[in-house]
This record gives sequence, structure tokens and C-alpha cells, in this order.
Amino acid sequence: MSVQPAVSPQSPAPLAAPPPKASRPSTRLLRGLAESPEAGVVVACVVVFAVIAFNAPTYASIGNLQVMGRDLSQTGILAIGESLVILTGGIDLSVGALAGLAGIMAAWFNVNAGLPAPIAILATLAICAAVGTWHGTMVTRLNVPPFVITLVTYTTAQGLSLAITSGTPINGINSLFANLSSHYIDQIPVPALFFFGAALVAWFVLERTYVGRQIYAVGGNREAARLAGIPIRRRIVSTYVASAMLAGLVGMLVIGRMNVADPSVGPGWELTAIAAAVVGGASLFGGEGRILGVAAGAILLEFIANGLLALHVSPYYQQVVQGIVLGIAILLDRVRASYFGRGRR
Amino acid sequence: MPLSANPSSRAVTARLRGVHKSYGPVRVLDLPELDLHAGQVVGIVGENGAGKSTLMGTLAGSVHRDGGDIEIDGVPLAAGSTEAAARLGIALVSQEFPLVGQLSIAENLLLGRRPTQSKRRILLDKAALRAEAEAMLTDIGLSPRTIGVGREVRTLPVPTRQMIEIAKAWGRQPTLLILDEPTSALGPVEADMVLGLARKVAERGGTVLFIGHRLDEVRKVSDRILVLRNGRLVADLAPAEATEERLIREMVGGEISHGEPRLFSADAEPYLTLRGLTADGLGPVDLDVRAGEIVGVAGLMGSGRSRLIHAVAGAQPATAGTMTLAGAPYAPRSPGDGATAGIAVIPEDRKEQSLVLFAPISANVTVSILKRLSSHGIVTPKRQRGEAVKITENVHVRMQSVDQPIGSLSGGNQQRAIFGRAFASNPRLLLLDEPTRGVDVGAKAEIYELIERAADDGMAVLVASSELEELQLICHRIAVMHRGRVATILDHNEATKERIMTAAAGTSPVPDSVPTNGAGH
Repeated sequence: MSVQPAVSPQSPAPLAAPPPKASRPSTRLLRGLAESPEAGVVVACVVVFAVIAFNAPTYASIGNLQVMGRDLSQTGILAIGESLVILTGGIDLSVGALAGLAGIMAAWFNVNAGLPAPIAILATLAICAAVGTWHGTMVTRLNVPPFVITLVTYTTAQGLSLAITSGTPINGINSLFANLSSHYIDQIPVPALFFFGAALVAWFVLERTYVGRQIYAVGGNREAARLAGIPIRRRIVSTYVASAMLAGLVGMLVIGRMNVADPSVGPGWELTAIAAAVVGGASLFGGEGRILGVAAGAILLEFIANGLLALHVSPYYQQVVQGIVLGIAILLDRVRASYFGRGRR
Repeated sequence: MPLSANPSSRAVTARLRGVHKSYGPVRVLDLPELDLHAGQVVGIVGENGAGKSTLMGTLAGSVHRDGGDIEIDGVPLAAGSTEAAARLGIALVSQEFPLVGQLSIAENLLLGRRPTQSKRRILLDKAALRAEAEAMLTDIGLSPRTIGVGREVRTLPVPTRQMIEIAKAWGRQPTLLILDEPTSALGPVEADMVLGLARKVAERGGTVLFIGHRLDEVRKVSDRILVLRNGRLVADLAPAEATEERLIREMVGGEISHGEPRLFSADAEPYLTLRGLTADGLGPVDLDVRAGEIVGVAGLMGSGRSRLIHAVAGAQPATAGTMTLAGAPYAPRSPGDGATAGIAVIPEDRKEQSLVLFAPISANVTVSILKRLSSHGIVTPKRQRGEAVKITENVHVRMQSVDQPIGSLSGGNQQRAIFGRAFASNPRLLLLDEPTRGVDVGAKAEIYELIERAADDGMAVLVASSELEELQLICHRIAVMHRGRVATILDHNEATKERIMTAAAGTSPVPDSVPTNGAGH
């Protein structure tokens, strides 16, 4: 809308511009769905799943669904944490490498240092929280670009994983880790429950608490948030802490799943996590995006990645196909956003 | 903080002692003593740069004062902390609407706090949020039903956003409410609502600082009117004494001498002609600029000064009307089209829009003529450097070498380098927006010389400025804008400050209709 410096005295002021023209409730609902990025991703999930399941009979089997559920515990949980940081207008490149390092640390504490598994888990989570605090502090106090400071951690964490293990996996970790990762509740793998749990908690905090709404405000208009007296720094730091701790959780789920702590695992997952957040409607400028969309984005990416295996697409082409699908998804989202005037500056 | 219960008291709400603020060598605010009383609307008027915004920012905490004491209801106010100011009950409605576009109206209205009626500390209380937001809108006279508190703020038109911003401040029940040109984005109906609100706050015992640009409004609403000039309080008037003429006289101070009248033959053919030029928030505008002529554009903030420059430069699309350059039709679709047509632009914000501060002077001054300097697309550093030396010598940039970062130069020297760059492309029309902003007094005179030299070299010059003195000094004619239109065009010798200000304030009989998109033809 334009600045209209003057309004002729006769005409009533156009102050209360009517809400977007929508007469019947049904059209309003349709329009609302079309305007929200989340709906598109959810629909895409359903369509992709149906199409692949129709062409590959094993795709919808319980066994494969369980595999996908456990995969989701990895990039999906990372995507939840990542999206919190993205909501503030930041980015966290360290989550993949940090997840890898967390697994190594937990295993090392448990096996090499001889600590009981619960203590090893808590110590690892504490270290991850410290790393997140460091990220947030550097970003808020010294204005270090989030990209840079988390890239530093990415490199360091990846190197530390190799240095601690001299490149060889750590064996003989406590069965508690495996129990966390390999168990099923009503045929649902426990790690998948961690993913849904993390999504639920994040959704609740963002949508139903004051702190969550303030995170949106900080990402949407930092100056407005500052002038309104919102503790901007604390809010931003908290998202980096959450992201790092979720990465720690992922790392420990992974070593439990493989029953060994492999130092080569982790780096690269952050890109999938970022892709899931963006596909799910999070804006890299901050302030925009919902957990429903991010979770659906993570599920969509998993459906595609696993579906390519089920369809026996040559492994040499799988990444190409994933890239193209991602490109189409983002293109469609931008077209939708500019068509409905949302997400446009 | 609740409002004082006793509206008839004339207790001091804000006590300012020796408050001052400087930017570099320029003292922009200097108030030895000022008391603001409870239950009053205090109007503040002054020219651009008189220190109104600085005073306001100092009180609201967004500007860190250099010294002096401020007490609010007897409690000292820490310098430069918006949180501290908010705690003491100071609420600011600025012109920039700090709203979060992605959040709903209700969430913006209660940004940073919880609904007062809600018992929940952590969990969002949507019902209470909605109820309180609706009450706030109703309180200031808006209908929550027609607006809809659930709507995202970014879908709202600007006047509504301004009203939301006012409702937000109102909802905090401020002891001291600062309104910074609150009606500049509003139509008359809402403007009256805002004036009514200001009175209501005062009746409840609060204090309102009303910074106004429409003198009639300030006089209507205020119990007391302060006039600032050059950062100092020059008049403290009761409404009865504050006639419009008196206010303008106090705002502009004594007339400064004009310098020698600029000579110009009025018979020359116009180089740039605008006929019914209309753009978003601008026009229709008719204006001619002849080769060798300097035409000034004066007007209050939001009057369309910059928009006019942008529309001619091709940086803002024209929606109607025609432009010609030397008789040939000219319809730019981008600033690139303007450059091709022989137009050089010197934008308002040197740091943001003109320069790469950390890059060397040589790169900065040759950036627009790289094509000419290159042979087959290749630019050699030697050639670029040589040209840069010529350009900077031409405009007398004081520097050690063209290799130093341009950010290391003073503001005046940076601006001279920008002029050099503009001249280097041999433009026929020079567009200037606030050419001396952030430049110290000595350097200003030299920039005026550069502008005059451009005109003497046969360029047509259009210069928008908020500083009347400089327009009076250098311009052959001054077009005064009011609400997107040219209210009047004054010749050099008839352009007194009073006449310019009167036309800019819209006091003189000026057609006062709606400049909307696509209007005009």
C-alpha cells in the first residue's frame, strides 16, 4: 500500500481497508489454504507418498515406514532446531557436524572415560548447550554473522570427531543407547517419537507461549522487538542453544542405531535440515515459518530420498533427482508467494 | 505506569537540565532547562534539523544524550536505554512504525508484554490477547470489527498501521506520550482522532509531546508550544500568542542574506519538462528545468521531494504523465535508462546508496564509467587509477592517494568525490537529493560551488533539499511541494523563508486533492 499523504475531506477515510475480498466461507478457506505455505507441503507429502507407493509395493510396508521413521529422527530433529534459528533470521551450519561430534563424545565418555551412560548423555548435552550459547553470544554481542560462527564450529567439530577417534569408530557403547534407538512402541520406532516430540514441543513453544511469539517478533522486525522491550539477545541465544542441543540428541540416537560411534557421520546433514525448513515455508530473512511446515518439509524430503531407493533409481542419479525436486518445490512456493502477495517485500 | 489521578495538578512530569547532544562538531540539541507539566499537550515545532527528533529520541532512549539530567516524575532517566524509558512510562510513536509485519494486529498491539487481564505468565492467552487488543482499538476510536485484530500487519495500508502504532502506545498508559508527526500519514478523519487522543491523554493527567509539521494542528491541540531552532529552544509560547506567522518567524529566525542574485536568462528552452507526472505518492507535477538552471525542490517530510527526484531518475515508476529531455520523450523504466539518457543522480544517503566505503577512491569514482575506460571489456588498474586521479583533481578531493578507502575521507570529501564521479559521465541533467547532508559547514560552501559550476557548464540541475538556506542560496527557482504536488514555484528573489514555509505547510490556498495511483489523466 502506498503512502497517501492526503485524503479528500469528502470521501470517508480508507482506514479500515476491508479484509481480503472473500464472500463465501468456502472460497475463504480455499484461499487461506493456498496462501499458507504449510498446506502446500502437506499436500505434496501426500501426493509424493501416494505416487511412490503406487509404483513401488514395498514402499508403504511397515518395515520401510519404520526405516523412514528412524531416518526422520536424524534430519527431521535437526530441521526443527535449525528452523528456530532461521526464524530469528540466522542460520546454523554446525548442526550436522555437531551431531556427529555429540555421538563421538557420548561414546568416548561412556567407553573411554568409563562414565555411566546417563552421565555421558547429560555431559554431551551440556557441552552442546555450551556450544549453542557460544554461537548465540557471538552473534548477539559481537555481531558475528551466524553463517561464519557456525561454519567455524562445523569445521572444528568435524575435526574433533576425527581427532578423538583417530578416525576409527568407537565400539562397545552401553546398551542404553541402542535401547533408545532400536526399540518400538506399537511398531513405531522410538527415534521417530523423539522427532514428533521435538516438533510438538517446538510448535507449542512457538505458537502458544509468549517467548515463542517474541521469537517471531525478533525475526520479523528486530527494531520493533527492541523498542517493545523484548529481550532480543536472550531470545536469539535460546534458539542457538535449542538447535545445538537437538543436534546432540540426534548424535546420540545415531550411535544407538548403529551401535557404534562412527566419526564420518553427520557433516552434510545440516543442508538437508536447512532444505527441510525452507521447503516447509521458513523464510531465511526470519520471522516467517511454522513448525507444521518444517516437519512436513522434513517428511517430504525423507519420502523422496527413500522413494528413490524404493523405485530403484540409480544411486548415481538420486542426488540429481532430489535437487530437481527441491528446485521445483521452492519455485512453486515463490510463485505462490508472489501471486498471493505474501512473503514479498 | 498508571496515569496520574489528578488531572488538574500541574506537577512536573519531565524535568530536563542541561541536556545536550552533538554529532561530530555539530551540536544538534542544547537545552539548559525544560520542564514538561502533567495534563498538558506540548506542541513542538521547528524546521528540519532543528533538533525535534533528537529531543524525542533522547527522551525515548533511542538517542544516547551526551550529557545532562532527565527526571520523569522525579526518577532519573538513564541515557540511551529504550527499556529504561519504557519503564518510566515514556511511549513514543515514531514515523517509522516499528511493527512486525508477520504478526497479527493483536500481537503487535501487545508486543513485549502480556494482556493485563490474563493470569497466564508463560502460555499465550489468545482470548485475553484478542479482547485487550479489541479494547485498545475501541479505546482510540477504531472499530475492531471492521479492521480485524487477527490480520497480519503487513497486509494493512499505511494509515491503519499508523493508527495501530498509536493504539500500541496508548495501551501502555504512558505518563509521557511522544507523538512524532503522527498525522503525516493520515487523512483528516484519523488526524482528528489522533488530536482527540492527545487531548484525552492530557485530560487523564498524562503529558503529550506533540511534534507537528502542520502548524494549524499543533495550535489546535497544544496547551503550550515550543519552537526549536538549531537545537535550541527559541520560543515558549501560549496558544494565544502562537499565531502561524509568529511560529514561522521563530522557526526560521532572522532572514539570512541571499548572496548575490543568480543571473539566468529565462528565455532558454527547457531541457527537462514534466507534464502531469504522477507516481506513487506524487503528482501530478508540471515542472521545467532549463539547461544551466538550478531548480530547487523544497517541502516537508513526505511532501514528495525525494519521490520527484526518484521518478525523474527512473528509480520509481511513473504511473501517468510525460517527461521529455531536450524535447525528446523520456520514459525511464530503471535508473539505467536515466543514466543512458544523460542523467546523473546523487542520492540522499551517501553511505547506503552511493559508495562502497571500504573500496579505494579509484574504484568508487570510476564505477559508472568503466565501460568507457575499458578496451574490449578489460579495465587495467593503471588506466582506472589515472582516470580516478583526473576525476578527483577536477573536484578537489583532499586525500593522500586514490588508493585509500573512500570511507577514510571526511563526509565533505566523500561528497565531492561523488560529484566528480557524476561529472565524469558528462551528464546533461544532474539530480541531487540532500546534497549536503552530513557535511560540515565549510564543505557545504564548496559543494554549492560544485553545483553552480555544473550549471555554468550547461547542465540542468534539480536539487531536493530540506535545508531552505541552501536552496535560497543556489537556486534560480524553488518549487515548493505539498502533499505530492508543486504548491508554488518561487523565483530566487521572491523565495523568502516565510513564503516557502507557508506554501510547504499548505497554508496558502493550494489545490488540495488526492494524489493517488494512476490519477492525473
